[in-house]
Amino acid sequence: MTPIAGGVALSLAFGFGLLAVLTLLFYNKYQDQRLFLVGQRLALGVSFFIFLATFILSYQLIISNFDVDYVARYTSIETPTIYKISALWAGQSGSLLFWLFILSIFSTITILQNQHKHHELMPWVIISLTVTQIFFLILTNYVTNPFQPTEADFIVANGNGLNPLLQNITMAIHPPTLYLGYVGFSVPFAFAFSALVNRDTSPLWIQSIRRWTLVAWLFLSMGIILGGWWAYQELGWGGYWAWDPVENASFMPWLTATAFIHSIIIQEKKDMLRLWNMALIILTFTLCIFGTFLTRSGVMSSVHSFTESSLGPIFLFFVFFIMIVSFGIMYTRLDVLKSPRKIESFTSRESGFLFNNMVFVVLCFAVFWGTLFPVISEAVRGTKITVGAPFFNQINTPIGLILLALTGIGPLLAWRRTGSKSLIRNFTFPLVMCVIAVILFFLVGFKGYVVVSFSLCVFVTSAIMTEFYKGIRARKNKFNESLHLALMKIVSKNRSRYGGYIVHLGIVLMFIGFTGHAFDREKEFSLQVGQVDHVAGYEFELLKLTESERPNHYAWISELKVTDHQGTFITNLYPEKRVYFHRNPDINRRQPHSELDIYSTLNKDIYSIFSSIDNDNKTAFLKIMVNPLVRWVWVGGYILVFGTLIALWPRKEK
Amino acid sequence: MKNNKFTLLILGVVAVTGFWISWVSLNPSDEKAMATFVSVNELINNKINKRIKLGGLVKDGSIVISETNQLECNFVLKEGSSELYVKYGRTRPDLFKDGAEVIVAGQYNNGIFYADELQTKCASRYEGDLRNESSYNLTEVLQ
Repeated sequence: MTPIAGGVALSLAFGFGLLAVLTLLFYNKYQDQRLFLVGQRLALGVSFFIFLATFILSYQLIISNFDVDYVARYTSIETPTIYKISALWAGQSGSLLFWLFILSIFSTITILQNQHKHHELMPWVIISLTVTQIFFLILTNYVTNPFQPTEADFIVANGNGLNPLLQNITMAIHPPTLYLGYVGFSVPFAFAFSALVNRDTSPLWIQSIRRWTLVAWLFLSMGIILGGWWAYQELGWGGYWAWDPVENASFMPWLTATAFIHSIIIQEKKDMLRLWNMALIILTFTLCIFGTFLTRSGVMSSVHSFTESSLGPIFLFFVFFIMIVSFGIMYTRLDVLKSPRKIESFTSRESGFLFNNMVFVVLCFAVFWGTLFPVISEAVRGTKITVGAPFFNQINTPIGLILLALTGIGPLLAWRRTGSKSLIRNFTFPLVMCVIAVILFFLVGFKGYVVVSFSLCVFVTSAIMTEFYKGIRARKNKFNESLHLALMKIVSKNRSRYGGYIVHLGIVLMFIGFTGHAFDREKEFSLQVGQVDHVAGYEFELLKLTESERPNHYAWISELKVTDHQGTFITNLYPEKRVYFHRNPDINRRQPHSELDIYSTLNKDIYSIFSSIDNDNKTAFLKIMVNPLVRWVWVGGYILVFGTLIALWPRKEK
Repeated sequence: MKNNKFTLLILGVVAVTGFWISWVSLNPSDEKAMATFVSVNELINNKINKRIKLGGLVKDGSIVISETNQLECNFVLKEGSSELYVKYGRTRPDLFKDGAEVIVAGQYNNGIFYADELQTKCASRYEGDLRNESSYNLTEVLQ
């Protein structure tokens, strides 16, 4: 009975959505306040029914009602409750409903928050949000309905179960985090779109979406970092980023969103770049939908035999629909989008921001190019050429380094123009540090991009330090405060600025981690107990091979002693080879899994994988990787989150 | 300052980027940066000497692991009705087994495909095996 209620709720949501949009369009024509109120409430109704549908599906998952196809497919009776809930976003139809659920939360908050604000804008804001809901409602109602009953002529006693390898807490929170980011951008987009329709160019709406944009950006960033972290800890290929289409799908909107966060500062402060900002937020939202399309349609990873899905064409239609409508309206509003002021000088912060923006967009395009390269090459030359990580690294490394440099240069420039005196004053310290760094790194024996990257990290860090120092000194001189107090004061008085600098610092740390990749070493070898092999100056001795039977798997554990080239003991590593469901009579249902062991320090990670075991000869086949500086990426991630939170922290109302 | 200087600059950036991206696309630094994706049929019918990528299913019962070196294995890759003999000598992904969907990259020589890359359909996609949309692998079924 209840699954049917879920289906009905989805249909009702769809109907309410159409009605809401119609009513609001009528309101725009007749300007009758009652129509607006009705439209608003209908839109709230859409969200209500989506909430209802989501709760019904979650409930079905929790009580394991295998009459629902989705429940049977992704859970089983044994699945722990938390993963029964996370199964909500494990499969295609559920994750689309989950998308809708988050969008509905955001939409409800937006409507309630702005009941007495932005009267001109709200009708179109609600229309944009509702149209997006309608699109996903079409998918969940008619293409891939999560409440579809099990198509079997027998009673399903137990479901398929969730892949045990995905029953991992990071994997349970990574997709929703990413989704919160993706979906979050629909609110700034809705405001921008509405402003466009209304020819509203006041900086007012920009202020009210800044916070939304930052929240969405924060979630998107965390989602991306968590995904990398999970891949590194669990997947066992020793990396955290592979330029996989699905990764790129989340990275592209992140890039344009980052550009947007920077350039709205200029519109807020200087009322410039109106057109550019509009284009950026439209692009970001489109890329979010496109990202969901890449992830969910299987188009990119579906090389020949992989999952084909009927979602693709509909998604592509929606992507083009958003782009054509938004850019079309933008074209008819070009006159109001002309900014009254122009950038005055190259050496101004405005031009720094403009540069940073262009490079972000260029980087986004490069990623887009690589992601779609197989499709493009097939269309143009008739052969499908796939590109791998080395291609992306080659294209993006210089672009990324230019961005890193701009992170340091931008804040040192003054608004409007920087006089030559202050130019020298601001740049002397960071540049001197940078030059010293270049010389030192060359002397150490580093080459090429490594020197450039590390030196730029020094440059940017010095530049950020200079900014903090200037702020603190000014307060100390003026108010005679202690260093600690002055630091607290400058940050709390100007949260977005100093929060931003802290984010930059996080990015610098991440770049240090990325650069470490240049020194990665790996080796595959076999060892019998007592034998020794060497990787990157470390000695690995296989001390023991043990076996153990555990509740849902069987494990072979190799105990490795790691010493450095002087014979100093470093650590013991215990990588495992496991077989899940080892008691299952069907050998194909048994699931091998390599449980890694990582010894991690700020300096380097020693990453061990137990690839396979030869039981007759008591031989372990191992893959060892020595990955320098990986931990800096995660530390940088924490700092990035911390900085964003500072920038977001609301001021006390006075 | 004149605005057209900025326009020129933007055009400059666009031109440099366009040049850079097309240059890398035509001259990849690493041989593993690019691979032509072909079907098993195309490969068998036209001898292709460059690095290629193929996708398909592992034929049931075809995986043979070397007695002397566990890392070395060979198997038969099936795509539709075409089959290809593949040799691979590195760490195998956990999801590699009979019937798994895999992508291999490497060189073809005299009827044998020497793979240096073997990917299974990535579990991180967080999705059950939907190769056949209508099939459940239900562990227990009551009639």
